[in-house]
Amino acid sequence: MSAYSEEVVRVPRAGSLYDVLELILDRGMVIDIFVRISLVGIEILKIDARIVVASVDTYLRFAEACNRLDLEYDSSSRTVPELFGGGVAKSVGKAGAKKAVHSVGDTVKKAVGMGDGDDETQEEEQPEERPRKAKPRSRSTESGRTRSHKEER
Amino acid sequence: MAASGIYVYGIVSSSHPLPPAARGVGEPPAEIRLLPAGELAVVVSATHPGLRARRRDLMAHQGLLLALAESGPVLPMRFGVVAPDEATVLRDVAARQSEHTGVLERLDARVEMNVKIMPVQDNLAALIREDPVVRRVREETRRNPGYEANVRLGEAVAAGLRRRAAVVAARLPAEFTEVADEMRPGPEVEGCVLNVSFLVPRRNEARFRAVAEQFAADHLDRLELRLSGPLPCYSFVGPESAPAKV
Repeated sequence: MSAYSEEVVRVPRAGSLYDVLELILDRGMVIDIFVRISLVGIEILKIDARIVVASVDTYLRFAEACNRLDLEYDSSSRTVPELFGGGVAKSVGKAGAKKAVHSVGDTVKKAVGMGDGDDETQEEEQPEERPRKAKPRSRSTESGRTRSHKEER
Repeated sequence: MAASGIYVYGIVSSSHPLPPAARGVGEPPAEIRLLPAGELAVVVSATHPGLRARRRDLMAHQGLLLALAESGPVLPMRFGVVAPDEATVLRDVAARQSEHTGVLERLDARVEMNVKIMPVQDNLAALIREDPVVRRVREETRRNPGYEANVRLGEAVAAGLRRRAAVVAARLPAEFTEVADEMRPGPEVEGCVLNVSFLVPRRNEARFRAVAEQFAADHLDRLELRLSGPLPCYSFVGPESAPAKV
């Protein structure tokens, strides 16, 4: 089944910055008397991610996907095995779920400064960086190592 | 920009070379220096008051640590550790020199590999078939459709997908017994049913990857596995360590 092998290739993929954010921010060594800088943007990120993951929108998408499974059953099939085994039903559920996942990613990207929706404190303090951020995800400032991670994705 | 402290990236042995063209946080990127501290050296740069956890600076922090790790073990600092001045850094590092040296030895020729497992959300039919709770809520929703019922159904589905993934994810650590030296749970991450880091000898990296890929392929219908690494050994800097053998 071609769809199957495609997924094998896709998973696992190399992590993005977001995938290890909690390690960079919560692990690693600290020295008590040292000051840790303000992490305003990250607090926003965590809150946003939680809202999206557990949001009513996500639930409604799941419910909708379930309901479409019902439609599949009503219109084209009368047998229970077909209801549960149908390839069409599977891809419907998948589309709904992908959407949910992407909305988390987008929120996170915004919070980390990958998108335009950056936190305001930053922009007030560093207005000169606005043009750079307006460009679609400038990668020119990333290190070579980081870029190679990207390519693996 | 006015100097406002010293940004600390990590600790290395005193013989550790700086990577060529090493640059740090800030815009323009700060110049990196090594502060010698006995048998150790501290990797630092200037910083400025506006420093935040932004993508660019997070990248700079991690990129430098990875570049340093090419030529020997590195004790990575958490992002955002800023000391008031050099004397403070040196005093602190000197006071814990033997501890740091021990950690560096433990990390030598090793990398951190992080594995996250998330539920897959594309196998609703199987979920409905196998999860009695979801099936019951779905039947209720069909009898009494509506907004509230749909929210309840979706919630039940999300919880069900999570349960399905978590059961399998619990079996993952045992798979890495042969290829990893240590294991440590990561911070809880929203949406993940498992977040765990492994300390892996560099020579085992490909094998580690292969094991992870096989695990992901074996359980495609229940989970998505995200592998990140090699990373600076953020999760293994504790001196007490000797964390549970995998």
